[in-house]
Amino acid sequence: MQEFLEFTFGGIAVGMIYAAIALSLVLIWRGTRVLNYSQGGMAMFTTYIAWVVIRHTGNYWLGFVVALAAGLVLGAVLERTVVRPTEGKGPLNSVIVTIGLLILIEGVAGIIFGGQYRSFPAAFSVTGLKIGNVALGISPTDVFTAVAVLAAAGLLALVFRYTAVGLRLRATAFSQSVARLLGVRIGRVLTLGWALAGLFGALAGVLVTPNTFLYPNSMDAIFVLGFTAAVIGGLDSPVGAVVGGVLLGVVLSYAGGYLGSELVLVYGLVVLALVLMIRPEGLFSSATARRV
Amino acid sequence: MTDAPALAVEDIVAGYGGVPVLDGVSITARPGTITAVLGANGAGKTTLLRTISGFVRPRRGKVLVGGTDLARRRPEDIARAGVAHVPEGQGVITELTVEENLRLGALVTRDRARRAAALDDAYRRFPVLAERKRRAAATLSGGERQILVIARALMSAPRVLLLDEPSLGLAPRVIAQVMDLIRQLRDEAGLTVLLVEQNARSALGIADTGLVLNLGRVVAESDAATLAADVGLRRHYLGF
Repeated sequence: MQEFLEFTFGGIAVGMIYAAIALSLVLIWRGTRVLNYSQGGMAMFTTYIAWVVIRHTGNYWLGFVVALAAGLVLGAVLERTVVRPTEGKGPLNSVIVTIGLLILIEGVAGIIFGGQYRSFPAAFSVTGLKIGNVALGISPTDVFTAVAVLAAAGLLALVFRYTAVGLRLRATAFSQSVARLLGVRIGRVLTLGWALAGLFGALAGVLVTPNTFLYPNSMDAIFVLGFTAAVIGGLDSPVGAVVGGVLLGVVLSYAGGYLGSELVLVYGLVVLALVLMIRPEGLFSSATARRV
Repeated sequence: MTDAPALAVEDIVAGYGGVPVLDGVSITARPGTITAVLGANGAGKTTLLRTISGFVRPRRGKVLVGGTDLARRRPEDIARAGVAHVPEGQGVITELTVEENLRLGALVTRDRARRAAALDDAYRRFPVLAERKRRAAATLSGGERQILVIARALMSAPRVLLLDEPSLGLAPRVIAQVMDLIRQLRDEAGLTVLLVEQNARSALGIADTGLVLNLGRVVAESDAATLAADVGLRRHYLGF
């Protein structure tokens, strides 16, 4: 029972990080049908920026905020400079460009920051929480991780639902041509989508890196699992991204806990295969609705 | 009738590949009039509207709206300049609610109060949309969707309304209602309308002037009553 509790809470906490990566992928996929393979690399890079800021100022929260801001800017700049020219050129072009971007970002990070493993501080204590004698399997930092991702996702949902910008983002996601007919400047909307994706990626990077150390490839495995979560959720649904992330986190936590943790990535692929066999469109996709 | 034209298309050559679909088309629409654009499938009617609204880049020619040449601008900028295009097959965003579709139409207006007023106007004019405002647009019938896209196009207070086959797929009774609505928009709001239709009889019933496109050229142009009375034209191009 105690184990089960620990695995569940631990899974939710890690799942929130997958959810953040999944959200960043969904934000871009919805607007442009581009899969951003460089998302993990971007998150790694903004985490290095946070690391530099924290090392020089000793202020964790300053580093945290700077990383998020850097994510926004990096997303917007990359969309404008590297991704924009691939628009309307066939899906393979953007795949190659974003994979190339990943290699470039990881290479640049290695040149600037070196390849050694660096420890990255956590927001709060990483000592496990207990209720009475029962260990919950999570630390205050895990709680912060969950709250931070949920708050960011909730904020995003509010923006989507209640603001003019959100309406533009959604309209562009569903039908670019109709949005343009109605005067939506979709160039700006797409840039904004990438900026928001950069923000969520940066959040994931800062939250996960205390568990993994920081090095130029540190986000690769997290990216694969975040991508899996996004696909489970249907790839174009923000709600699906969060649910897919938590689901994947919990399942992998059980699998790792009860079956052994050596094969966690493989279990992730098993989950992905199962979901795709039962519901190929993902759990929350609107794709079927649109095929009618 | 000495007003400057609300919309003037001058000698447009446009197409998708090598062969031009439009081969030197010119149109003049006076403010507050309905101009019917008729012709068979493949005559270039839809391409004409897509060229005016910027989705097709013309190789030659001008698209003057209120005296400004909008040819070769981006669609979103042309929309912001006051040209509302209701595409064939409607273009309702089915994943959004009725109200979100309408609000989307007003986003080019910066002033929040004017956006809200436009929404109130739409609901007053189209009570059927007010009843369904929280529902997903996917739940609307074909006729209701046609009303929604026209209402949405009006949200931006356009100078020129481009309608592509608004009668397509609608029951005859609903077609009559849609045509009535277009006439009202001209009479009450002074809107300038370019109405592309296969259904020539319905379109000429409300239009002030009309023209017939054939293989990318204007082959006839006159007031609506004259076109409707031209038996040879009807037999050759209009099919009624």
